[in-house]
Amino acid sequence: MSLFRKIHDWLNVRLGVDDLVEKQLTGYLLPANINRWYSLGSVLLFIFTLQVISGVLLLVYYVPDADKAFSSVTAIMNTVPYGWLIRLCHVVGSNMMVLVLILHMLSVLFMGSYKRPRELNWLSGFVILTLVMAISLTGYLLPWSQLSFWATTVATNSAGAIPFVGSYLVEFLRGGTLVGPYTLGRFFALHVAVIPIGIVAMIGLHLFLLERIGVSAPPFGLPDTKNPWKGDRFRHEDHPGGIPFFPNYLLSDLTSVAIYLAFFLLILFFAPNMFLPKDAFIPANPFQTPAHIKPEWYFLPNYQTLKIFPNEFIGLMVQGVGITFLALLPFIDRGREQHPLKRPLFMVCAVGGILLWIGLMIWGHYS
Amino acid sequence: MKRLHNISFSRLIGVVITFLLVSVAPTLAEGDTVCIQCHGSQTGRGLAPVKPWQGSIHAANGISCNHCHGGDPTDSSNAMSPQRGFLGAPKELAIPDVCGRCHIGIKADYLRSAHGRALGKGGPTCVTCHGSHEVQKVSIELINEKNCSRCHSYDRARIIRGAMQQTEATLVALSQRLEEFKGRGVDTAGLEKRLFAQRNSYHSLFHEVNPAKITAESAKIAAELNLIKGSLDKIDAEHHQRKVIGAFAVGAALLGALLLNLLRRTYS
Repeated sequence: MSLFRKIHDWLNVRLGVDDLVEKQLTGYLLPANINRWYSLGSVLLFIFTLQVISGVLLLVYYVPDADKAFSSVTAIMNTVPYGWLIRLCHVVGSNMMVLVLILHMLSVLFMGSYKRPRELNWLSGFVILTLVMAISLTGYLLPWSQLSFWATTVATNSAGAIPFVGSYLVEFLRGGTLVGPYTLGRFFALHVAVIPIGIVAMIGLHLFLLERIGVSAPPFGLPDTKNPWKGDRFRHEDHPGGIPFFPNYLLSDLTSVAIYLAFFLLILFFAPNMFLPKDAFIPANPFQTPAHIKPEWYFLPNYQTLKIFPNEFIGLMVQGVGITFLALLPFIDRGREQHPLKRPLFMVCAVGGILLWIGLMIWGHYS
Repeated sequence: MKRLHNISFSRLIGVVITFLLVSVAPTLAEGDTVCIQCHGSQTGRGLAPVKPWQGSIHAANGISCNHCHGGDPTDSSNAMSPQRGFLGAPKELAIPDVCGRCHIGIKADYLRSAHGRALGKGGPTCVTCHGSHEVQKVSIELINEKNCSRCHSYDRARIIRGAMQQTEATLVALSQRLEEFKGRGVDTAGLEKRLFAQRNSYHSLFHEVNPAKITAESAKIAAELNLIKGSLDKIDAEHHQRKVIGAFAVGAALLGALLLNLLRRTYS
């Protein structure tokens, strides 16, 4: 008997490995008409893992002190062996995480997978998006460059528009009246400890819900489940006659991860400065405001919305209403139909919303 | 009654001036010194230095009126008080000392040169060639027929310019390359310091009028600049190598995707 066989048998009698593999991998069936868009979740898991690994490696050399942060990042980029690769992985990866997360949410939107009984999947995903935005914002300050300092000043300033509590909120976020060493300490703690724990917990919840409720079938094709949700009792949506998760769909997931990796490496090696403008390499100077400071691309629509309205509070309110509407969409859009072409009102609103979001982003970039 | 009337009148003038200052103030940029606020609202001679200074290298580096002319830039009523160190426009002989407060080495170079030795005897001061309020970053362009022939023939200056031209071109090219590298996240601090030292040595030649000495010094500077260029070339080569590795990595990922997809198809 081979050693591998012995280990397998030893584990099997204790943990029931064969049964676990059958239930969770080879016997776990997915909808027969499942498409490539479903693998974006796995791509996101891969990106998040890469972010954690590169983040931990950066922590070895990064110094969260306003006097040393910029020079420590400069040293990572120039003197630490492969430090440039690790930092660029983290920077490009953070942008990719937001991009892929948005694509994942759009696919869920257009395929109607957010509809009942998956309201909680959508909500937990929405919380993940918010946390990813928060981790990106807090991480932006850490290099203590002109870009990070002034972008954080602009971002935290927006909170001041909230009536009554605005000024207290700004002071709470900054740890003082202005962005300074205390802000760096707070953002660092949020970026490396609080928010990642929150993201891991929410990913856990998201996957638990996915596993518990079952994978939704795409609206393109015949329904394959014998257990559709009726609202009377809990039913796990299974897909008899579907394709096994292992090896079939796992290989599909890995193909998507490899395609993503090619795209990610292409940016990392050939256009890393796409996400690192010149001001990212100038140390923070609280006495010199750069001429054209802009937030990251995914915050540009929010930034431009604040600029459009004569009052920042109105701008914040409009954004708040929009975000709340999107978060509560499964409770508002209660129709059963999932096919996007059979939901004309949804299509008009979704396409209009996306165009508006892109338009605001472009406007924000050039304003 | 007449005295009272006089007091009221002077108060009225005071109120009017205050009102005018207050009404002008919002149109000026926040952070301007009182010198700029006051001169900016004047016309003619009073206004003349403001615009040229605003476009100068001094303004770009935060060197304001008071750094040369003294005085208190924060107190409008005492800005031009001698008690607060106001010097006014320096006299011809005092100009090298005023500029030399910051440009110490350059002042020494100037005083050693034929130009400096002729100070007070019809020779040029710093502002003759560099201008005063409109002073710009020094370049070889400063040595030109129009400038030099205001005082003497351009013949010798032409030889000097010819000898310095290559160094100038290399300095400019290296500055641009360093700036571009900096924008890519390369730590250029060490190289910038070395370039700064060579630029200073080069600028000190501007006040030299001996072509043989200029040629010899230019060769020394050129050798140092070549070393800096070598360092930049090395970084460039390293970045190029990264791209080659990157191309292989992208290719490997795409190949992996293709193989995984083929494997998936064999199962389906």
